[in-house]
Amino acid sequence: MNREFQAIVVGAGPAGSSAALTMARAGLDVALIERGTFPGEKNMFGGLLHRMTSIEEVFPDFWERAPLERHIAKKGTTFMTGDASFHVQHECTGFDRTPYNGYTVFRPRFDRWLAEEAVAAGATLINRSTVEDLVIKNGRIAGVTIAGRKGEICAPVVVAADGVLSFTAKKAGLRQPRFSPDQMAVGVKALFDMPKEVIDDRFGLVRDQGFANEYVGVTAGVRGGGFLYTNYDTVSVGIVVHISSLRDSGKTPYDLLNSFLEQPQFTKLLRGGRLMEYSAHVIPEGGYAMLPELYGDGILVAGDAAALCNATGVNLEGINLASHSGILAARTVIDAFERKDFSRKTLKRYKERLDLSWVMQDLKGFRNAPKMLHIDRIYNEYPELVCSMMEHIYRIDGTPKTSIPKLMLREAREKIGLKNLLGDLFTAWRAL
Amino acid sequence: MNIDEIFDYTSFTIDREPHIVLDREVCTSCDQRGCVNCCPARCYTWSEAEGKMTFVHDGCLECGTCYVVCHKNAFTRWSYPRGGYGVAYRMT
Repeated sequence: MNREFQAIVVGAGPAGSSAALTMARAGLDVALIERGTFPGEKNMFGGLLHRMTSIEEVFPDFWERAPLERHIAKKGTTFMTGDASFHVQHECTGFDRTPYNGYTVFRPRFDRWLAEEAVAAGATLINRSTVEDLVIKNGRIAGVTIAGRKGEICAPVVVAADGVLSFTAKKAGLRQPRFSPDQMAVGVKALFDMPKEVIDDRFGLVRDQGFANEYVGVTAGVRGGGFLYTNYDTVSVGIVVHISSLRDSGKTPYDLLNSFLEQPQFTKLLRGGRLMEYSAHVIPEGGYAMLPELYGDGILVAGDAAALCNATGVNLEGINLASHSGILAARTVIDAFERKDFSRKTLKRYKERLDLSWVMQDLKGFRNAPKMLHIDRIYNEYPELVCSMMEHIYRIDGTPKTSIPKLMLREAREKIGLKNLLGDLFTAWRAL
Repeated sequence: MNIDEIFDYTSFTIDREPHIVLDREVCTSCDQRGCVNCCPARCYTWSEAEGKMTFVHDGCLECGTCYVVCHKNAFTRWSYPRGGYGVAYRMT
């Protein structure tokens, strides 16, 4: 049996549900198709939901309403070697006040909530449905088919928000048929159970303050890093590694995760924690250079499906870009209904909207970041340099001290080479 | 984190039909086999003695790593599981 809608959204993640919510609020009859038994069941990320200004416009009381774990009041970076670590941290009262700067969330709860808000606005959520193909009629996209089911779900326009591998965008010929492992990373995560009071004491938190920390040097030279995020009464820890670099290393992601978990300064942070869940997912980290075609006749691509991820090494943003792109796609579909035209001529307005927004301006502004993140020295030599320099500075051993500038020069020359150092600084300067 | 105990931590509703199917001839002639070390759930095993690749879909996290790393496109099928099947995260 065929079902008719005015618009179809493939994937009830942050991009898809934001799109469905916006369209439903404008009165469109929209189908939101999800392959999980409920939205969020299949969704995995490190754990940081960056502030979503576009969702705050819809829900001014977002932080009261959404199922959040903790708001991020404290952020840190740790340079780590096998036996040493050097930590820098930032905390300010501004991030401890609404509107909060970011949160930790559980995707099976958060994504479900956002999809339910779309349903409350009038969208039809169709769970347990993996989209198999696009329906093409008279050379135009006319709907989708569901794997293992008869009939079609029909609409004149489809928003592909089906995640990083977006088979919907592929079938529409909008994304490259193959991905480059140089532009993709894989994240693996372990979730540890820990009483709230222990988390508060251990990480210096009160109320529902949260801590987000990134680790450099914990991936045995494989391009990537580690993370630790505090949830309400669990802690998420994991690593993100570039797939080409992981492939060449011959190492496995779970072995890398385990050696990170066993580093002596890190392992004590997790003392008493019980492993609750293990998860993994691919992340598009190619930035501006890997963006697919964002629209075609009767189709728009949003979120990870459009590779809208901004991995600069400082912030790893994706979910906020996903949600914003979903909303801009929805606005474009609403325009298309007013014009009764779903051709690429009308839908290109989506690309124009994205270009004018912070989403594309950030991706363009940081388009050199992927190049910086391919400097292999970041993942081994630099953390070694920082930790060894600090050890020399702090060490008291009855010998005369070397002046700090002299020490810095000597260590940099030994561990990096001055020419490399200058080159890397230049690359980083251009990237950030 | 012991990968052998993945089913103790992560929930799955396993479909009888695998959602990923390999053309193992292609794997035999592959010069990289990045899938074996990159898969976070250890679904791929290469037997040097038999010259044979084995893929088990049971503990697949549907992460997409094998799809990205395989440069030979050895998949006769690579799709997500049918609706309602596969990995089911509770928290994450």
